[in-house]
Parts: sequence; C-alpha cells; structure tokens
Amino acid sequence: MTTASEVLSSIQSAFPGAVLDSRVESDRRLWATIDAKTILDVCKHLSSKLNFDHYSGAAGVDWIARKEMEVVEIMASHGAHQVVAMLKVKTHRESPSAKSLTGLYWNANWYEREIWEMLGINFEGHPELYPLLLSDGLMGAWPWRKDYKGYPDLTTGERAVAITTPEGYTEYRFPPTPAEIEAGTVVVERPKYPSFREREEKEIKSDSEMIMHLGPQHAMVPGPFLLDILVEGERVKKAFLDLGYIHKGIEKIMENRTWLQGITYTDRMCYVASLSNNECYCGAVEKILGLEVPERAQYIRVILEELSRIQSHLIGTGEFLTLIAGVGYAPWQYMIMDREKIISLIESVTGARLTHTFVRFGGVRNDLPEGFAEQCKKVLPYMKSRTEEFIELFAQDPIYHARMENIGSISPETGKRMGCSGPVLRATGVAYDMRKEDPILVYPDLDFKVITGTRGDSADRIDVRLREMLESIHIIEQCLDRIHSGPIKTEAKIPKKVPAGEAYYRVEDPRGEMGMYVISDGGDKPYRVKVRGPFYATFQTLTPLLEGVYIADAVAIAGSMDGCPSEADR
Amino acid sequence: MGISDVIPVPVAIDEEIEKWTIFGRPVAEVWFTTTEKIHQIIEMGPIKNIFNWGRKNSVYFLMQPMGCCGVEMFVFGAAPYDSDRFGCIPRNTPRQTDVMIISGYLTRKYLPVFKNLWEQMPEPKWCIAIGECAISGGPFYDSYNIIQNTGDYFPIDVFIPGCPPRPEQFLEGLINLQEKIKQRKDKRDY
Ligand code: SF4
Repeated sequence: MTTASEVLSSIQSAFPGAVLDSRVESDRRLWATIDAKTILDVCKHLSSKLNFDHYSGAAGVDWIARKEMEVVEIMASHGAHQVVAMLKVKTHRESPSAKSLTGLYWNANWYEREIWEMLGINFEGHPELYPLLLSDGLMGAWPWRKDYKGYPDLTTGERAVAITTPEGYTEYRFPPTPAEIEAGTVVVERPKYPSFREREEKEIKSDSEMIMHLGPQHAMVPGPFLLDILVEGERVKKAFLDLGYIHKGIEKIMENRTWLQGITYTDRMCYVASLSNNECYCGAVEKILGLEVPERAQYIRVILEELSRIQSHLIGTGEFLTLIAGVGYAPWQYMIMDREKIISLIESVTGARLTHTFVRFGGVRNDLPEGFAEQCKKVLPYMKSRTEEFIELFAQDPIYHARMENIGSISPETGKRMGCSGPVLRATGVAYDMRKEDPILVYPDLDFKVITGTRGDSADRIDVRLREMLESIHIIEQCLDRIHSGPIKTEAKIPKKVPAGEAYYRVEDPRGEMGMYVISDGGDKPYRVKVRGPFYATFQTLTPLLEGVYIADAVAIAGSMDGCPSEADR
Repeated sequence: MGISDVIPVPVAIDEEIEKWTIFGRPVAEVWFTTTEKIHQIIEMGPIKNIFNWGRKNSVYFLMQPMGCCGVEMFVFGAAPYDSDRFGCIPRNTPRQTDVMIISGYLTRKYLPVFKNLWEQMPEPKWCIAIGECAISGGPFYDSYNIIQNTGDYFPIDVFIPGCPPRPEQFLEGLINLQEKIKQRKDKRDY
C-alpha cells in the first residue's frame, strides 16, 4: 500500500526542489506546497505513476495577512490506495493566477470556475472561465476575499429597483448608492465575458435546431437550476447548465460564525443529508482539535447517519418516480409515507425533522431516548420488507426496464474520470465508498457490503440506492446490538478558540463523497471552510451525459442522479 | 354609454330607452351593462362570498422547492399530511396555480425568475412565505446573495415561521389563508 510519505518522497525525487513545504499528517494525508511552475508536471506524475486518478476538488484560500492566495488541489485515488494529497499552489494577491488543471482532469473545470468567480484567481489555460454560481451583478466583487465589504447591505429590500423590460417582464437591478461608490465597496469594473444566453445561442448552427429550457422552475428539478438543451428533432445535441439560483454563500457565512454555530449551516447545505454534513464538519474540527469520540457517541452517529441515508434514498427514488410517467405517482406517496417512519425515528433523537444540528465536537448532543432500540426493531423489519418489495417491483416491471435500461449509461472509466461518486459511480461497478475507503467512526468494525451495479445506467442507479438501503438497515441492526452505555461526549474541554491548523475530512454522504477542508487560524471562527459536495461533482457530468439522448430521456437521466442543487450551490 | 354599445339596436331606440328610468336611475345603467359593470356589481354584493367560498376551497399551490422548507413542502403535499383534504393540491406549472409558496431563500439570481413565475399565475392569486429565510433572510440574513425582505416584492398573506416549520404548521398557515380569503381580508382584496 502506498503511504503519504512514499508519495512525498516520490515527488521529491522526481522533481527536486518542487516541494517547498510539506507535512505528512498520517498515512492517508499529505500536505505539500508545490512550486507553481511545476504543479502541472507533479499532477501528471501523480496521476500516471502513483494512481492518483481521482481529482476530488480544489479550494481557494485568501491569505490576506501574507498578501497571497492559495489554490489547494485535492487529489485522491479510486481504491488503489488511500492517500489524499492536498497540494497547495501559492500566488500573489495582486493579479492572482494559477495554472489550470483542466487539461489533465476533466472535472477541474467547475472547481476552477468557482474559485475564479469567488476569489478572482485567474486560471491560465482554462477553456471557459465564465461565472458559475454568481449572478452578473456580483461578478468582479470577489465575495470570498477577506476584504469583501459589500456584506450584507447589498441585498436589503429597498435597494432593488424594478425595471420593466421591453418584453414586459419585471427585472430587478441593484444600483449602487453614491456613498458606496465613494467608499469603493461596489464593483465598478466588471470582467467581460459572454452571458449564459449568448454562449448557448452561439451553438445553434442551423435552422432546425432550437433551445429548450428545463428550469429553473420545472417539474423535473428538485430545486432551482437551469438545464438548457439544444435539440435537433428529437435528439439533444448539447446541454448547458446554469446553477447558483439558490447560492447562499454558506462558505463565506461560516467564516463569520463561531465554530459551534457553523454546525447549523452544514445542516442547511443539503437538507436531506444533514447528519452526514454535520459529521463531516465536526469530524474535520475534531481532527484539528485532536479529539477522540467516545464509542457510544460513535455508534449513535453511525445509526443516525444510516437512518438519514435511508430517508434520503427514499425521497430521491420517489422523486425520480414522479418524473417518469410510466410508473406514476403512487410509489412516491408510498415512499414518502415510509420516509415519515424513518424521520420520526430520527426526530425522536434529534428533535428536528430536517435540520438536526445534532453532532457535536467530540460527541453528540444528546443520548438516544428510552425505547429507541425497540422502536427501531419495529420499524426496520418493516422497512426491510418494503424495500425488498420495491426492488422486486422494479425488477419485474418490463415497461420500466424497457424505459430505463441503457439510458444515460456511464462506463467505469468515464465515471472515474468525471469525478462522480456515490451511487452514481457505484452503479458503474466501481466499489468506491468512503466508509471503506477512508473509514471513520466505527465503520471498520461493522460488516457491510459495498453495493455495485453493472451497467451504470438509470435503472442501475436506482437499484443501487434501493439495495444500499438494505445494507444500511443491516448496519443499524449491528450497531443496536453492539452499542454499550457510556459517555456521549468527550471528557476533554472543547476550547472556544480552535488552535491553528487545517484538516480535510471525508464522509460518505447519501450522494457520494463529501469532504470538508477546514482551516483555523487560532481564532474563534473558522478561517476558511471549503465544501467538496458530492452532487456538485455529479452535476458536472450531466451535460456530457445528455449529449445525443432523446428529449424524453433527458428528464429520466437527470432525475436518476438524485439531485440536490442546494448542496451544489451552497 | 348607451344600449347600442351592448346590443345592436337602432340609435333612435337607444335614445328613447335612455330616457327611461327605474327607481330614479336610468334603465341603461341598471339593466344593460358590460362585463366590467357585472364585476363591479359582484364585488359589491353577497355573491362575492360564494365566489370566495369556491376559491378558498381550491387553492392549488406551485410545487417549487427552493430550500430546506421545500422538502417539507413535498411532505405536506404528499400522503402523510395530505394537503389535498383542504383543496390544496400541488401543481407543477404556475399557469394552473392559485398560491405561490415561497419555500426558502430568495437569491439575487432567482428573484427575477420568481417574479416571472408570479406574473404567470392567473388571478386571483395569493402568496405564502414559509420559513425564516422567506420572511427575513433567516440564517443567511447577512449573505451577499440573499434577498431579505421578500415582502417588498410579493404581497404575502401568510407568514409561517420556523426553520423549517413542521408540515402541521403548513396546514395551519393554509387554513389561515383560507380564512382570510373567506373574510376578504387578503392583501390583494379579492
Ligand atoms: S427557513 Fe430554515 S429550513 Fe427553511 S429554507 Fe431557510 S434555512 Fe432552510
């Protein structure tokens, strides 16, 4: 097995002088500052020689005191080894720029675009440096920079001025006040780029082609995002995605809240998987603090996260079924009814239906209530029989199979290259699961299988989710058998100010690999929190996947991804 | 206006009839009238209550999940809480809906789109704001991208606080709205 120190020495021997600074945190985490000139070569070396075939994301950090900015590339591997390499590249704060990795890793595209629009770091060699999340009015303001001032008074109600466009629509503009212009808190010079509409209209090559808008409000979408498809006849020629309709700037907001308050925001990132998000953030902070979680708390966390996985898969599958008219509306109602059973179980522990804020640094907020195990033992067998029924229902239905098989297929290689994870990747046959890959809590002691599919199509994705629910039930049953009484919080005192440090922590969210990169500068608030969401990565694969399919299948493919635009937008 | 505007009669007769009165008012004003006039009469009379009774019992809402509260809206519209009992059925297109539920944070990018959706809804229409975000920005009140006062943009009849409110609260808000419609106290005065 490759370890972090081996990776480091391999880089050092291949590129002497390229590693400016390094830290081997454990066998699985490598932190290294790489010379900006050699980053491309180092990444090439990593991917070709050391099996780093998973580009997991990138984070931009504004170090205003040091007058520099950093791009942190997060690299991992799909099962060959478990090292996560965090490669930092430094750049000047005045006219910051870095080398784009899009030539090497296809999925670097969105991550770099995001860093560009939020922090203003220019990526040399990026094919389409256009805004992704922000509306045009905010472009050039670089809101994630530490000295961004237009916060929060840019958005108060009276500021917006209604303007009626020639087509009769109402539009809102946010004109700056003279005082703001004088104080320099508004953007006067904006970067120039073609708008989303112009970009997609450029692709229309003949009279027989046209653009269809699916969204931002559409029966298909689980939240607002815009999917435009360029169609010719019945075929989709190209698809365009525009997101950011519910971009809340959580990463920036968390920088302005205390460490503990931050937990509430992780809830609201992806509200059907809030417990995994809690876990991810708390795990990262625990890592910086060096806290040990008591065993009972670990079991409670696992139980709740698996329950939350079941309810998330239920709502995801249910939503998908409402989209494909063939199966109709009734299964959705059944799934939501079953989901209520799980929700009430979770609610009996956390006291909330969606936004739990339950996991704490070094433990959990409160213990399991009396009779929880009995209640679970009543609900879980029921859920099991129901899930088996659902699986059988899908397996038997010839219409469903005719409709869904070989629709939106992803091959294992493509899946890996595109950086998707979770059920979407596992449906292609790659057994990539954070619970096995980067085990946390008591997962190593538990017995469970990683569910994989074979074809990687829409039908497989649903099937994997349903079978995963059975595994989750199995995990919970084991936990309930093994859980002992004991403390639910660590004895150690948790300081208000977290010592300076950084950590990257990964969990298996219902949608795939969720990672959080947390930096502390020794203050009572995080210096930077970067969220590597699973759906953000899966979302990116949607546009190439839709090329060449029938219009009717576009919805079936997009629906089978189990989308959560809120987490993608953050 | 004369009768000849409403039904084709020779102008001479028109002039003749215009002289007739009933209860001291010209006949033409009372008996022969335009759609607009009918509406005015309905507005004044008790028949409006019958209209509003019908309206209040068929408040279809737009299925437009925007945030965490949107997930609760799903549940509210589905079997466990069954909003259908109150004539409140989720629809997927704004053209068929009466109630706009603002179910979460409204961002600068989404506001114009949302306004379009609102304008696409046929009259009469009402608006409900659900959750802290829709009321005042909620946990994201100081974000650079969130609109705080949705009330400035939409005539909101019912505010349902909570983060997220429970589906039972949704039901209560809905019943409050129905009560408002019945008593003709809603913002847009139907
Ligand atoms: S009010 Fe709370 S639960 Fe509702 S959308 Fe806002 S943050 Fe989410």
